[in-house]
Amino acid sequence: MMAKNRISLEINGEAVEADVRPNRLLSDFLRDDLALTGTKRGCETGVCGACSVLVDGDVVKSCLSLAIQMNGCSLTTVEGLACDGAPSPLQKSFMECGGLQCGYCTPGFLMAASDLLARTSRPDVATIRKNLSGNLCRCTGYQGIVDAILDASEKMHGT
Amino acid sequence: MRDFHYLEPRTVSEATAMLADHGEEACVFAGGTALILALRQRMMAPGVLVSLGQLEEMRAIRFDPKEGLLIGAMARHNDIARSKIVRQHYPVVAEMAGGLANPQVRNQATIGGNLCYADPSTDPPACLLALGAELTIKGQHGARRIPMDEFNVDYFTVAMEPGEILTQIRLPPPDQEVTTFYRRHLRTPAEHRPVANLALAVRNRGGAFEDVRLIVGAATPAPQLLDGVQDYLSGRSVTAEVAAEAADRAAEEMFPISDGRGDEGFRRQVVRALTRRLVAEAANLDWKETE
Repeated sequence: MMAKNRISLEINGEAVEADVRPNRLLSDFLRDDLALTGTKRGCETGVCGACSVLVDGDVVKSCLSLAIQMNGCSLTTVEGLACDGAPSPLQKSFMECGGLQCGYCTPGFLMAASDLLARTSRPDVATIRKNLSGNLCRCTGYQGIVDAILDASEKMHGT
Repeated sequence: MRDFHYLEPRTVSEATAMLADHGEEACVFAGGTALILALRQRMMAPGVLVSLGQLEEMRAIRFDPKEGLLIGAMARHNDIARSKIVRQHYPVVAEMAGGLANPQVRNQATIGGNLCYADPSTDPPACLLALGAELTIKGQHGARRIPMDEFNVDYFTVAMEPGEILTQIRLPPPDQEVTTFYRRHLRTPAEHRPVANLALAVRNRGGAFEDVRLIVGAATPAPQLLDGVQDYLSGRSVTAEVAAEAADRAAEEMFPISDGRGDEGFRRQVVRALTRRLVAEAANLDWKETE
């Protein structure tokens, strides 16, 4: 067994220090070591996007990242989106527009959409679809998700 | 995934020294998106990963009027896609990088990792070859530069020695008369890896093509320069018929991969279609009307 390495990072605004083995995946670190189970393990091969989180504001797949790579980084997981326990405008739009059914892919879509809306205040449908191309949903047919992001962008950034 | 040691050198020379120290046991770790999959499938089991993640010097993108565009090998695909410098001087590269894989991978994977891993089912090699890229490779005993033409040797094989690190990709200053086109084919929009792609650089002198560079990628074990088609197109005024003939020749000249993602015949057909469309586009013809 290899020695563990100490990493310091910020997750959802809180400082975290942890000892991790170098081969610990970020997705496993979040779920199994920190009990942040909002981040889902789906395909675990970088295809489905259910494990998406933000690293320094950029959406990444946590199943294709090592926890040890995150030393010094600032992460946001789906648990970090709510404001004082209430759903964020983006989360509300997902509920109101039918942006989810079973909900398993939803954390990943929320993180991909958060990255997009932080960069582009009023994306068009083509831009939204392009920016969701790393996430799979087997329930909604995507239309509800696209509608939700359009709705959120309107509510967050005006018409 | 088996256990390994994870080393984070702070300079390139420290990195090459670590690689030399650990020899065959060591493996370079860049963005990790491809390597982590290989490690998890135990296709590889290095005892030591030498991560280049802390080498800020290898992430820079800058333009020099004499040297051209200098892209640090640790630049991520989205760094390239969003770079004002790249978009200004080499829009085709920004577009290629911005369409590669998917948004998450573009935020994680690096151009250098992509090139060194040399998985054929990817976008950058063919595009960079068309632009005449040159690569800087550093080892323990100094640096060398090689043209991209000599880099991709075969399927997952590049012209690098153990212990060497790709540090920089250089694209020569753009020639304002030369236009570069890049197009790829995905079997479905949900698929992130092209089954074929094509890059074409051409000087269009009043309808006649000169200095043609035509490269097929993803459909071949390594990007392939289509010399025969280049010769055929050189000096020629391109009509719809010429584009169709060039397409037939491209499908004939290539050495396709045949695998579960597409057999040889399918890949030839895709390259035929891509060639006809791209050559027509380069000649300002509407390829949709050329059937």
